[in-house]
Amino acid sequence: MNQPLHSASRRPAAISGLALAAVTALWWLGSTRLALDDGSDASLRAAAALVALWLVRGMALALLSLRAGALRGWRAGAAQSSGLIAPSWPLVVLACSASTTPLAQVVLAEGLLLVAGAVLPLVGHGLRRLLRRVDLAEAAATALGAGLAAALWYSRGPWSPPLSL
Amino acid sequence: MRSSDTVWHRLLLLLLPGLALCGIVQAAAAPRIELTATAAWQGWSRPGRSTEIDIRLSTDKAVRATLEVLAGRQTVRSDLELQPGRVMRLHMPVGSAGTGAVTLALTVAPDAGSPAGPLERRELVIAQSESPLLGVALAAGGPVGLEGFHSVALAAQDLPRNASAYSSIDALILDAPTLGALDQRQLAALLTHAAACGRIVLLNADPGVRQALEGAGGCGGHTLMPAASLSEARQMLRSSLGASLPTAITAASLAELSRPAQATWNRLAVALAVYFAAALLALVFFVSWPVPLLVSALAAVAVLALLHTVQPPSQLRVWSEGESGAQVARYQAWQQFPGQVRERMRVPIPPQLAAAAQACDPTQSVRFDFDAVRGQLASAEFETRLFHQIRLCYSGSFPMARALTTELRADGLREVRNAGPAAWPAGLLLAQGQVHALPAVAAGARTIIGAEAGPPPGEAVVRTAMARIRPAPDGVAALWPLELAGAADASIESMGWLLLSVVPR
Repeated sequence: MNQPLHSASRRPAAISGLALAAVTALWWLGSTRLALDDGSDASLRAAAALVALWLVRGMALALLSLRAGALRGWRAGAAQSSGLIAPSWPLVVLACSASTTPLAQVVLAEGLLLVAGAVLPLVGHGLRRLLRRVDLAEAAATALGAGLAAALWYSRGPWSPPLSL
Repeated sequence: MRSSDTVWHRLLLLLLPGLALCGIVQAAAAPRIELTATAAWQGWSRPGRSTEIDIRLSTDKAVRATLEVLAGRQTVRSDLELQPGRVMRLHMPVGSAGTGAVTLALTVAPDAGSPAGPLERRELVIAQSESPLLGVALAAGGPVGLEGFHSVALAAQDLPRNASAYSSIDALILDAPTLGALDQRQLAALLTHAAACGRIVLLNADPGVRQALEGAGGCGGHTLMPAASLSEARQMLRSSLGASLPTAITAASLAELSRPAQATWNRLAVALAVYFAAALLALVFFVSWPVPLLVSALAAVAVLALLHTVQPPSQLRVWSEGESGAQVARYQAWQQFPGQVRERMRVPIPPQLAAAAQACDPTQSVRFDFDAVRGQLASAEFETRLFHQIRLCYSGSFPMARALTTELRADGLREVRNAGPAAWPAGLLLAQGQVHALPAVAAGARTIIGAEAGPPPGEAVVRTAMARIRPAPDGVAALWPLELAGAADASIESMGWLLLSVVPR
């Protein structure tokens, strides 16, 4: 009974992750082609694609994983997080190869996303146990996730200079 | 007895480490290396121009060392084997030095019985002239001036061995004694510069030398000028400076002759499309959550493997120009290395093009390896990444023996005669804005050019040739593809052309 339920909750997140990766890939390939045609530096577009992937996945994780943890527990939340994070990996590999962003920074960012994907559902699950009511836990997790996403958005300046180009 | 033995043993035990230490210290004593360096042209150059550093090295013991010359963003490196009692001399080409500061660092190899690390370090300042530079290499005579120029008095040893270093000066006056004092490599560099339309006045050269140099100058020989006196030399330079010379083809124009390197982009676009389709199918058909995760992870590894296994060839484009009957043609070449992954790429420099090699973009960080035995650049090393194109630019000249004459007949057809000593292959004839197919013609034979249509003038090569015909736009020129088998191997996708202008008589 649990497996189809988990699958149903995981699929939208995985499809969102895939759609996010596809849209970013489309933008990156298009802007890179333009850069190649006019002889400009394609690495700036690659760096911007990396930052966009980190930022959007981070914000989506904050919004969805906390709530998923609160509603369906840690395992389902973590599975949903992995569906959101993983589809971008091939694109991250390509954008990393094309950018001048230090490799350590890329590995660290992906590692942090994975850690966040595991920790946020746990926090959501903890909220549910703390508040004991699903509707209250869901509201609290949503509010906390929105706050985290907003904090991520407003703190992006120092670590995402390519997006401000 | 026993007590004296013990004393001796103790003394020996104390002495042996001391003796061993002395031996080690003696063996590890750093070799004394003398390093002196002077820049060509008495240390003068111009902003953004290449020059040459004359380096002398001597040592008191055999040692393997590495010398690095850093100028701007480009480094020239050479592995050396120094022998005691022998002075090693290197003439290293250096690119534009930016602020004019050139740093030389000599490092001894660790296996030389001496500690590794920087042993000698020298700073050299290249004076940067804002005014055009006039090199005056006269064995006798006072200072020579030319309005608007900064004159530099030179001796024979101040002239460079690398043709690329001639870009530092804008005009040169030299007399017969100085010319006679030049060594083979200096003469070769001087002739290459002359073929590249460098302005040179030969003062009091005897008829034999003048005859030998006839035809060696590029631009119809207008830039290699014999003069009988200093005043005549000055006058000739003024006249030459008043006339505009055809400039060498730019790297940007050469780049237009190659198709954009988009094979990698196309391949990756297809790979990503396949991945997204596979990931979507995995989501649809597999309920278990690790499957899509595994698909993404495997796709990331596959993409990385694809980048590492497929290395597109570099593109080499050579554009050469000469005038009908001239002995030399000058060339500009451009080689593009498409990047695939983040790595340090090392590429060999074709020996035939190594006379003057440099990064097309002076801000590009490149390390060249200099072959001390052959006295030329052997390879280049640079950081690359996906979609990053590193370009190296080459220039020089090569001997040529092609000549053609054309005549427009009353019936509107054009008669073309091969006036050279050898047959030529099929090519194109560009005449008065029209493009015609030019058949292969044997030495001394003629052909009639009718209304056969050549390729459309919109083709990049034809367009470039049309733009470079002198006198423009109604001049006549022949365009042939160049055989580059000697200059490029199978890993290089090479194309070259020779544009031979017919000088109107």
